[in-house]
Amino acid sequence: MGDGTTGGKEARQETRRLVQGLLLWYGVLWIWLAIEPVNRRDWFLENLLAVSGVVLLVLTYRRFQFSRLSYCLIALFLTLHAIGAHYTYAEVPFGYWLKDSLSLSRNPFDRMVHFAYGGLLAYPFRELLMRVARVQGTWSYYFSVSAILAQSGLFEVIEAIVAVLVSPELGNLYLGTQGDEWDAQKDMAAALAGALLAMSVTFATSRLPNVRTTDISR
Amino acid sequence: MDRNKWLLWGLFAWYLVLSGWTAYGPVDPEFWAIASILPSCLVVGLIAAYRWLPLSPLSYVLITVFLSLHTIGVHYTYAQVPLGAWVDQVLHLGRNHFDRLVHFSFGFLLAYPMEEAFRLLAHARGWVLYYLPVMTVLGLSGLWEIIESWVASAVHPELGVTYLGSQGDIWDAQKDMAVALYGATLCMTLLAIVRMWRGARPPLHPEGVAAE
Repeated sequence: MGDGTTGGKEARQETRRLVQGLLLWYGVLWIWLAIEPVNRRDWFLENLLAVSGVVLLVLTYRRFQFSRLSYCLIALFLTLHAIGAHYTYAEVPFGYWLKDSLSLSRNPFDRMVHFAYGGLLAYPFRELLMRVARVQGTWSYYFSVSAILAQSGLFEVIEAIVAVLVSPELGNLYLGTQGDEWDAQKDMAAALAGALLAMSVTFATSRLPNVRTTDISR
Repeated sequence: MDRNKWLLWGLFAWYLVLSGWTAYGPVDPEFWAIASILPSCLVVGLIAAYRWLPLSPLSYVLITVFLSLHTIGVHYTYAQVPLGAWVDQVLHLGRNHFDRLVHFSFGFLLAYPMEEAFRLLAHARGWVLYYLPVMTVLGLSGLWEIIESWVASAVHPELGVTYLGSQGDIWDAQKDMAVALYGATLCMTLLAIVRMWRGARPPLHPEGVAAE
């Protein structure tokens, strides 16, 4: 209701303006971070999927519109990813600062973005499943978590293939394992935790009275 | 219906006998105990769910084949399964591939039972019906690798990755997930082709449970 999907003309316009604003923000940030990335080839590899995703969202906008909340979540994730790609993830200054102040053994920024992948994208994915695939009720929560976990697994597989194809040296940089043998498992676990958290919050808020939930099942 | 019941009892008896037999003198009792937890839960869950979710006989056969392969693998800690060792010697593969075969089977054999459960319980329709099992197999494979890594760091932190039967391959987790994905994709593709060819529509309600 009133999410620009089934709502009236005004709501549609509002969504449109929001999406234009988010696109402008991402475009400006992206160009700024594209000027002098720490490692050009790694930056290119990292951006392949992200840019394809944005193009896909723009192309399908007329046929399928997410809710405004979903667009904000997606934009936030893409922002984090653009920053990470600029610094090859392992060298993000904020991550270094966290590492120093919490005395961690590694730069945790990439793990945080894996967590954000689950935490920020599970909700839009649930919306997609509910509206396109008509998945309902408890299943919509379960399938969203499962989908995030599956995509994380697929991402690790693709990473491995890329790392083997490309020079092993850049492969390691791209993988950002930072010398941890359990890196892939920890990344997947982080995304899973994020998705579980997002779905718990979604479930809890949908139960609250007087909360305008996205009634997207019809 | 009666014939189906006999089949189910037969499958259950087969699994119990095989489990009892392979439980005797496993190569690594600790590994055997840990790796037997999840299959036992699955069997108990299937039996408990039978009243309101009777799967098709084909599904139960597929699940039993998978559980049998897993039981055999666990008895030999996977890396030492004689069949795998023999294939390794004949084809000079450099490693025992039995575990990879079982990862593939996880996707190939269990995608169909999942499709059935999602069709009957979650009322999934259309292309999503073929997408969801593939996605679930990939997700569960990822979860399996995560759990494995936790067990390995909890039980034998000094052994690290070697404990997982990675047999010295740093990409072992990724390869395991990839073959499960191939198995599930193959199963769903075959299923879609068979259904198109036959022009048959799959049942939308469990057998013996009245449609609302």
